[in-house]
Amino acid sequence: MSYRALLTAWIAASGFLLQAQEITFQATVDRNEIASGEPVKLSIELTNASAGGGMSTPDMGGLVVMQGPMESSNFSFINGRTSRSTTRTWHLTATAPGNYTIGPSTVRIGNSELKTVPITIKVSKGASGGTSNQAIDKAQQRDPNLFCTISLSKNKAFVGEQLVATYTLFSRYNSLQPKDYDLPKLNGFWAEEVDLGNTNWEAQLRTINGVQYRVAILKKQVLIPLRSGKLTVAPMTLNYMVNPSFFSSGTPVRIQSNAVDVNVAELPSGKPADFSGAVGDLRLQVTAPSGQVKANEAIDLSLTFSGRANLKLLDAPKLNLPPDFDSYDPKVSDKITVNGSGMSGSREYQYVIIPRHEGTYDLGSLTFSYFDPASGSYKELRSQPLSFSVGPGDAAAATTGGTSPKVDVQRLGSDIRYIRTGDLQLRPRGKFLYGSAAWILGMTLPPALLLLTFLWHRRREQRMGDAQGQRRRGADRVARKHLAAAQTALEKNDQGAFHDAVGKAMEGYFADKFNLGVAEVNAAMIQDKLGQMDQGRTAAEYIALINEAQMARFAPIVEKPSKQAYDEAVAIISRIESRYRK
Amino acid sequence: MKRLLLPLLMMALSLPLTARNAPAALLDQAQEAYAKGHHQQALALYDSINTEYTSAGLLYNIGNCYSKLGDFPRAILYYEKALRLSPGAEDVQANLDMERTKVVDRMNQRPAFTLGSAWDRLQGGKDVDQWARRSIWASILMAFFAGAGLLIRPTYAKRLLYGAAGIALVASVASAALAAYRVHNVEQRSEAIILSPSVEILGEPRQGSTRLFILHQGTKVDLLDHQGEWQEVRLPSGAVGWLPTTSIGVI
Repeated sequence: MSYRALLTAWIAASGFLLQAQEITFQATVDRNEIASGEPVKLSIELTNASAGGGMSTPDMGGLVVMQGPMESSNFSFINGRTSRSTTRTWHLTATAPGNYTIGPSTVRIGNSELKTVPITIKVSKGASGGTSNQAIDKAQQRDPNLFCTISLSKNKAFVGEQLVATYTLFSRYNSLQPKDYDLPKLNGFWAEEVDLGNTNWEAQLRTINGVQYRVAILKKQVLIPLRSGKLTVAPMTLNYMVNPSFFSSGTPVRIQSNAVDVNVAELPSGKPADFSGAVGDLRLQVTAPSGQVKANEAIDLSLTFSGRANLKLLDAPKLNLPPDFDSYDPKVSDKITVNGSGMSGSREYQYVIIPRHEGTYDLGSLTFSYFDPASGSYKELRSQPLSFSVGPGDAAAATTGGTSPKVDVQRLGSDIRYIRTGDLQLRPRGKFLYGSAAWILGMTLPPALLLLTFLWHRRREQRMGDAQGQRRRGADRVARKHLAAAQTALEKNDQGAFHDAVGKAMEGYFADKFNLGVAEVNAAMIQDKLGQMDQGRTAAEYIALINEAQMARFAPIVEKPSKQAYDEAVAIISRIESRYRK
Repeated sequence: MKRLLLPLLMMALSLPLTARNAPAALLDQAQEAYAKGHHQQALALYDSINTEYTSAGLLYNIGNCYSKLGDFPRAILYYEKALRLSPGAEDVQANLDMERTKVVDRMNQRPAFTLGSAWDRLQGGKDVDQWARRSIWASILMAFFAGAGLLIRPTYAKRLLYGAAGIALVASVASAALAAYRVHNVEQRSEAIILSPSVEILGEPRQGSTRLFILHQGTKVDLLDHQGEWQEVRLPSGAVGWLPTTSIGVI
C-alpha cells in the first residue's frame, strides 16, 4: 500500500515535473502498518521549489501528533546541478486500532497548486492496551515530572498463557541518576526476562496530555501465570537522583509505579489425559530411526516442540514403551528466545531407548496435548506411528551362546478378565426346565408308559388263557381250601372227611403245581419232581402223607384224626411253594 | 401307540433348547462394541438382551461393562448375579474379587463356597437345568427297567432289572429335589448390593428416624422385611436396619 501510494505520488509528481521542470511534492510515511501506541513518521517533501505561502498541514485523520512539525531544508550541489528540498516531519501515533487516512497537503507554486496523495495507515491492536493509558494518566497525576508504569499485554489470560509486562519510565528532567530500585514482587507468575540490552531513552519524545516526556523502556518480562484467580504485579519502586551536577549529587526522588491486575482463568475442563500444562501454539516433530534396529543397541528418539508457548515449563513427555525397552531420562536442549512478543523457539527432548529383545514393537503414535488460548481449546499433536523391528543384537548372541537369561515375567498392570465370547447359552429369563411343562411331561410319561405296558402285558396273558400258569398259581389256593376243610373235619373229629380233604389237598396240589392229571400223581412221579429237594426228604414225606391219607380213606382204621398229619401237610406245601414260587 | 409316544417325549425334552438363537445378532453387535472399547454401547446392547434372556455369561459381560465404565457397585451386582447362575465360575469370581477391593466398607464377606467345588458340581455348575434333565432321564430309565423286568421270564435277570428300576426311581426323585433346590437358589432374592455412593441405615422405615450407621456402595447385605419404599437389611456383622429400596440392587 505504501509503495502504491508512493508510486502514485511519484507518478503524479513526475507528470508535473514534465511540465514544471523537476518540481516534486510528496508525502511519505516510514511505515503504514503500526500497532496502537507506536509512532509513525510522516514526511512531506517539496523539491526544487520554494514553498512561498508554506505547505498546508494535512488532515491527520484522527492520528495523534506526538511531535512536530519539524522543518528541515536541504540544499545540494551535485555535478553542477543544484537541488534543494524542504521537508516537514511529524511523529504520529494512534490510540485505537483502525484505519486512518492522512489527508492531502497542498502547496502553491506560482499559479499552480500541488497536492500530495492521501496515505492510509493501518493500526492494529498494540501490545499495551487501553488500560495502560489510564495507568499513565494516573501516574502522571502523581508526579508530572517523573513517573513509571507497568503495562501488561493482556489483562485476561489462561493459566500458562504468556503475558508481556513492560516497565516504562517517563521523565521531564534533563538528567537522571538511578540510585536503586525495588523490583515488583511476582506472586503466582513464572517470569522470564527479555534481554533489552542497555536501557536507552527512546529517540522520540512522547506527548502525554500535552506534556512531552522522554521515555525509556526499563525492562520487559514474559510472565506466565501459574495459578488461576486475580494475580497482581505489585508496584515497582525506583529511587533517582534528579539533576545531578558537579556541585550537588542532585535531589532524591522516589517514584512508585502502578500495580497491575490480571484475571487468570482456569483452563477449561475436558483436559486430555496427556495434557501436562503446555499453553500456546505448538508443533511436534519426531525423529526416530526407521526400519531395522538391533537388540541392545541404543535408539535415539528425538521429540522437538516448536512454536510460541511456555516452552520452558514443558514436562518431558512420557514414552509408553514396552517393558522390553530400557529408557533413560531425556536430554533437553532449548533454542528458546524470549522477546517482546513472548517466549518462542523450540525445545528438543532426546531420548535414548534400548530394546533388550528381538521382535517387532509397535509403539503407536506419540501424542502430546496442549491448550491453544487463541481458540480456547485443547489440541493434540500426534506423531507418525513409530514401530521398530528389532533384529538380533551382536553382543547378545555372542555372550549368551544360544541361551537367553531368564527374567521374571513382569506384571504391568491389573485388569478384569475379558468378557465371555462365543455361545453365552442364553435362556429366557425366569424359565427353567424344572417345573416346566416339558419337565412334567418328561417325568410323568415314562411311568405312564410303564403302567400301559403292565396293563397290556396282563391283558395279553389273560387272552392267551394261560391255564397252566393259572393252575400252577392257583395250586396253593386250592390246596389251602382243602386244608381248611381238613381243619374243620379235625375239629369235628370226622376222621373220614379229614383224611379225604388232606389227600385231595396233597394230590391236587402236586397235580396243579406240575401240570399233571390227578391220576398221574404217584410215588414215582413225586420222586421224580421233588427228588432234588432236601435230599429227597420232602419227596418221602409227601409220599408218606398221601399214602396215609389213602390208607385211611379206603381202609377206615379207627384212628384219631392226626393233628400232626395236618401240620405236616401245611409245612410241606408252604415249603414247596417257597421253592417253586411263580 | 408307543411309536407315537417316543417322538413326543423327545420333542418335549428338546423344547427348552429351541428358543436359543433369537438375540444372536444383538449379541454379536454387543461383543463387537465391547471389543472395540465402546463399553457404553455394549452395555446398552447387553441390557436389551437381558430384558428377555439371561445366562451367567451375559450377566458376567454386563458386569465387565460396568467395571470398564467405572461403576463398580453395579459390576459387583452383576457378578453376584452371574455367580447365582453359575456357582464358582472362575472368571466371575476373579473379577468380583478385583471389584470388591474398591468397596469402602470393611465387612467380613462370608466365605462364598465353604464346601468347595464338590458342592458346586453337585449343584450342577453353570447348568441350571442339569438336575432337571437328569431327573427325566432317571425316570425314563426306571420305566425302561421296570418294563423290561415285567416282560421277561422269571429269572435272576428279572430281579436285577426290578432292582435297577428301583435305583433309577430313587435317582429320579433325588434329581428332581436337587433341581428344585437349584431353581430356588437362582430365583431367591435374599441379597442385595448397595448402589448409592453412601446410604444411611435407619432404625425405622421412616425418614428422619435414628441413623444407625452408614454403608457405602458395593457392600452386600441380606434382605429381610419389605415395607413400601423401605427395605430391612441385615449386615454381615448381624446388625439390622432399614434403607430405601432405591439405594440397592437385588442380586
